[in-house]
Amino acid sequence: MAEKEPSNKSEYVTLVSNDGFEFVIKRSCANIAGTIERMLNPDHNFAEAVSGKCHFENINGVILEKVCEYLYYHEKNKDQKDVPDMEIPAELCLEVLMAADYLSV
Amino acid sequence: MSARRNANRIRGPQSALTDFLAANNISAQQIRDDYTRRQAQAQAAAEAEAAANGEPQDEQAALDEAAEAEAAIERSRKKRKAQQDVVAKIKKGKGKGKDQKKKKGKKGSDDEEDEGDSDFDLGKEMYKKKVPLPGQLENCELCEKRFTVTPYSKTGPDGGLLCTKCGKELAKDADAEKKPKKTGPTGRKRRKIESDRLDGKIQMGAKSLQQLCIEKVVHHATDVDDLGDLPQSLMERLGEIFTKERVMKPKQLKLFLRPDVDSITIHDCAYLESDDMKQIFAICPKIQKVALGNACQFKNESMEYMIEKAHDVTWLQLYAANLISEDMWTKYFKTHGRKLEVLKLQWLDAAFEDAQVEALPRYCPNLRRLKLELCRRLTPACLEPIAKLKKLQHLSLGYSTPTSNASIIKLITTIGPNLLTLSLPSFSDIDDTVLEAICISCQKLRKLRINGNDTMTDAGLSALFTNWANPPLRFIDFSATRDVDNSNPDGPDECIGLGPESFISMMMHSGSKLEDLNISSCRHITFDALTTVFNGSTQYPELKQIDVSFVSAVDTLVLAGLFKCAPMLRKVIAFGCFNIEDVVVPAGVVVIGVPRAQDAIEKFGGVGVDVDSAMGAMVDLFKRENGLGGYGEEMDVGVFG
Repeated sequence: MAEKEPSNKSEYVTLVSNDGFEFVIKRSCANIAGTIERMLNPDHNFAEAVSGKCHFENINGVILEKVCEYLYYHEKNKDQKDVPDMEIPAELCLEVLMAADYLSV
Repeated sequence: MSARRNANRIRGPQSALTDFLAANNISAQQIRDDYTRRQAQAQAAAEAEAAANGEPQDEQAALDEAAEAEAAIERSRKKRKAQQDVVAKIKKGKGKGKDQKKKKGKKGSDDEEDEGDSDFDLGKEMYKKKVPLPGQLENCELCEKRFTVTPYSKTGPDGGLLCTKCGKELAKDADAEKKPKKTGPTGRKRRKIESDRLDGKIQMGAKSLQQLCIEKVVHHATDVDDLGDLPQSLMERLGEIFTKERVMKPKQLKLFLRPDVDSITIHDCAYLESDDMKQIFAICPKIQKVALGNACQFKNESMEYMIEKAHDVTWLQLYAANLISEDMWTKYFKTHGRKLEVLKLQWLDAAFEDAQVEALPRYCPNLRRLKLELCRRLTPACLEPIAKLKKLQHLSLGYSTPTSNASIIKLITTIGPNLLTLSLPSFSDIDDTVLEAICISCQKLRKLRINGNDTMTDAGLSALFTNWANPPLRFIDFSATRDVDNSNPDGPDECIGLGPESFISMMMHSGSKLEDLNISSCRHITFDALTTVFNGSTQYPELKQIDVSFVSAVDTLVLAGLFKCAPMLRKVIAFGCFNIEDVVVPAGVVVIGVPRAQDAIEKFGGVGVDVDSAMGAMVDLFKRENGLGGYGEEMDVGVFG
């Protein structure tokens, strides 16, 4: 949740939840999610690609944190087989599922 | 005695020894009685003798005897003390090697068992060499230092005891030795992983977040009260997983029913009653797609309710709905048949007949997709009405009565030009004339299945694929097209079923677009044909899945060629291909069923093994096995050169 300077091809990007939490994560991780990848792709001329900052008006901080955790977990395990499942609290999983569908991860 | 032995007597705990003796009809009481009797006799004899020898000796003897008795009591007391100590040591000394070993043999040794056994152990223990008891001092076997023996003192390599420090080091070494053995998951978890792979879940890396969440939801299926407004695609996915995990019960069904839903897919309705089926239509009257597998409880009343409530159904898929009567089927087609575009019925043994099929062209003229499989009451007479379905694009037909080729040809010539899918499973009499009809009539096919057949010839199939104006097929299933004659396993001179010639021409025709190929049990395909098709240079860019089970000519070389030819390949099923050995699988590909795989039933491409390095590894293996020349060299030049 640190601050960062917006630039076009920086190593880190910022994801902002609807309740104002900011998550600064690696661009390579963020690109795992198809929707974020398309938002950040300079070819698509979205404002997000310029600012390096994605606002998600339909995802709250708790869920977005879980999503970020998943993105790092995915990045870490991308070349492995028999990866142990990531723990998702039962009470969150439906909301995370909605978010995952929206972000296409 | 006998009175005391009766069944109702209350008794204290018995040792295993007592039980054993009682079972063998030996009574401790009796032994004791005998013993006292003998003693009494001996005493009486001695007294008689003493009486004969005079009094003073008698007194002397009595004194001696008393002293002796006292000594005996003292001895036995000492002995008992020693025994008690040993027992205590056995009970305490759980840290000791030899006791531990014994305990491991047993399952969950409880106290009772210990006590029972200690009677036996006692005997053994007493004859063993003297081991210092806890609390005593002893020199350590390794470092020679003097230390106090505790129940946890370890036994050294030569049987002596070790001091605490040496004992700890020894334990550490033993642990280090044990650890490397535990590799990979064990038990249920390992089984689960294997089963996932057989199901084709073979992706590298982590599961998708959606998949993780869905699995979690299923895990807590009974606690979910509302799925919220999830998108339709996710609902369907959830429905599939609920079914797979067998948690699709009436309560869970309600989660999937929303007034705005227009499709419901439940692949297994075994837990649902006919009232639950009604509920589907009560809550979702706008429903368009109804797909219910294993719908045993979909009865006449449910059908009636559907007719009454759901007016927009375009897709009806009911498997095993045997409680719907013929009249009800006809009634349904009469009322809502006009809207129906897809009709898939399977496993209908009791009701659905030719008469109902006859009603289809009249009431359901808009049918695009028709699947009637495993419907026992259908006969060749149903072909004629099916031929009248002018808009039909996908046809899957399977029943058990023998059918003349003429009627099938008539069907194909009538509706063939529109067909995208033609699936004729287990028509064993289809011969080359039908293939000719397909060749002439069908020009749009994408999926073709003719399996379980032993009449078509290699030449007939070859002619089909050589002269066919149809664009390349996406899906081909010619499994089990072969000659079946145990006395002549190689088949007749004129090759039956998919043979070498037709296999080559088929791949020439469809190879560029083919995604899924099933040639299992086509055992007349030769090695030469396989190496010609999978020669390492011809590419099959779309091929994702192939089943070559029981094609005996498939060997490691063919498989290597296949990896090289099919960049998109994900799954190879190769049960019963005994010539596949030492296959190195490229990343992202799963090979199932290779019989000689030592570790598992499947092989799964490792990390960073691309096709080329897999090839290299396999060539090395070949060279090592066959010497540097010969086969290995030929493989280098012939396939990968």
